[in-house]
Amino acid sequence: MSALAQRRGHSARARGRLSWRSLPAAPVSLGAAAAAWELVGQVANASFFPPLTTVLGRLVDMASSGLIFSSLRDSLINLLLGFAISLFGGLAIGVAMGRYRKVEAALGVYVYALLTAPSLVFAPIFFSLLGEGRGSIVAVVVMYSMFVMIINTASAIQGVPAHLPEMARSYGAGEGQVLLRVLLPAAAPMIMAGVRLGVGRAVTGMINGEMFIAVVGLGRVVTQAGGRFDSASVLAVLLVIIAVALGAVALVQAVDRRITRWVPKTARGDR
Amino acid sequence: MIEIRELRKTYVGQDGGLVEALHDVDLDVRPNEFLTVLGPSGCGKTTLLKCVAGLIPWDDGDILIDGTPVRGPGPDRSMVFQNFALLPWATVLDNVAFGLRMRGVGRAEREERARVLIKKVGLAGFETKRPGELSGGMQQRVGLARALAVQPQVLLMDEPFGAVDEQTRRLLQEELLSIWEEHRLTVVFITHSMEEAVLLGDRVVLMSARPGQIAEIVPVPLERPRSSDVGALERSGQYVEITAYLWDRLRDMHEEHRPAKAAG
Repeated sequence: MSALAQRRGHSARARGRLSWRSLPAAPVSLGAAAAAWELVGQVANASFFPPLTTVLGRLVDMASSGLIFSSLRDSLINLLLGFAISLFGGLAIGVAMGRYRKVEAALGVYVYALLTAPSLVFAPIFFSLLGEGRGSIVAVVVMYSMFVMIINTASAIQGVPAHLPEMARSYGAGEGQVLLRVLLPAAAPMIMAGVRLGVGRAVTGMINGEMFIAVVGLGRVVTQAGGRFDSASVLAVLLVIIAVALGAVALVQAVDRRITRWVPKTARGDR
Repeated sequence: MIEIRELRKTYVGQDGGLVEALHDVDLDVRPNEFLTVLGPSGCGKTTLLKCVAGLIPWDDGDILIDGTPVRGPGPDRSMVFQNFALLPWATVLDNVAFGLRMRGVGRAEREERARVLIKKVGLAGFETKRPGELSGGMQQRVGLARALAVQPQVLLMDEPFGAVDEQTRRLLQEELLSIWEEHRLTVVFITHSMEEAVLLGDRVVLMSARPGQIAEIVPVPLERPRSSDVGALERSGQYVEITAYLWDRLRDMHEEHRPAKAAG
């Protein structure tokens, strides 16, 4: 609250003169990047790097033909399914690994191996097991996003100070109550950090899965446009993908803020 | 009330060797007694308390409460922790009601009981605050209220005022005395302060380290109630005498474990 008051004080003081402090950072940064893109595109005049206006024009074309919406819907369903499975598996396996040493010893090596392994290596296996339909793409999304959430959840649970579960046990809490009422809430801020990473990786997994395994969704549009050397279309779809990723992360952050409102003071910069 | 018989507890230390935390500890805590346990660090006093709480297993011996062997945590005991052990995301009200919630008390009843205790420890008006918004002294009041809310017969306190400043500590001691004078619970209170041990206790159990065992039990024949004038009590000859005696004993224990050069 004091940070807010301080910030309000800043802008009030800066109102009279033009100060870089009074400029909102994110829109300025985006505006500058857009201007630079347009400028470089116009000057270079190269087919592989069209200016922003051309790309936006292509995006409008794709939107009005309905192509972008049907692809986007396919992609979002893949993303949602894959991410939901990852979240559930990530929490369950992560909590088990964080809480029980034996589980960690048994599963740790696989989790770390699969975290670092290039996930697309498994694409042919999924392809032959699950066919070229939705299943394979969802499996790739899970491979991309689940392991980082497992590892963060496990570390978060291990980081809960021992006196909290001990306190709960002293009041007769069983293992289930200790998990639900103490360990999970205490670990929530760090678990959410893992979920944010997981969302980003899920979007990557979705596009890669669509491009390399089954040609559906946004990935298909990119693959086809790429085959035609149609850079404007590729970049237009890229903008949509970025929007999807940012939207997903914003959604997770909104949930995060609700869950971790209690975190007292952080080192988050307020300058 | 509490009978501790030949209690032994050994654990593996950081260097891999065995550490004898408790060696044949025999102790009776009388009903409604305020017992303080004093000793150098590493004498096993916290281990002893956690055994009584049923939080950690021991190797040999028995702990009986009203004749029933301790097998784990139970509703007859509650604990106040040195580092408060509050849930940082929960409000004062939810923290105080936590023990009742774990025992399956419904929301309306546990909140009503929690509010009574919050008032008793002087935190009325702070029900919706979170621990991060409270001072250390206020946090431990929450810890005390949480322990009292489950209406235990035995209150186990593990250096509860060790982490607060001196002035707050004195206020908390006075309040604990007046709460105890009203409710007459059985209290086992761990401390490393001679003054605190004498001020609060009916008897002071002096423990020595390596192995952890009871060196002596010192009765404190100071008059009760003590909460009304703690200052006068601390100037009384008896109080000064007992604390001085305890310090002599503690200093001997420290000398024994000191490097040889200090002997001369």
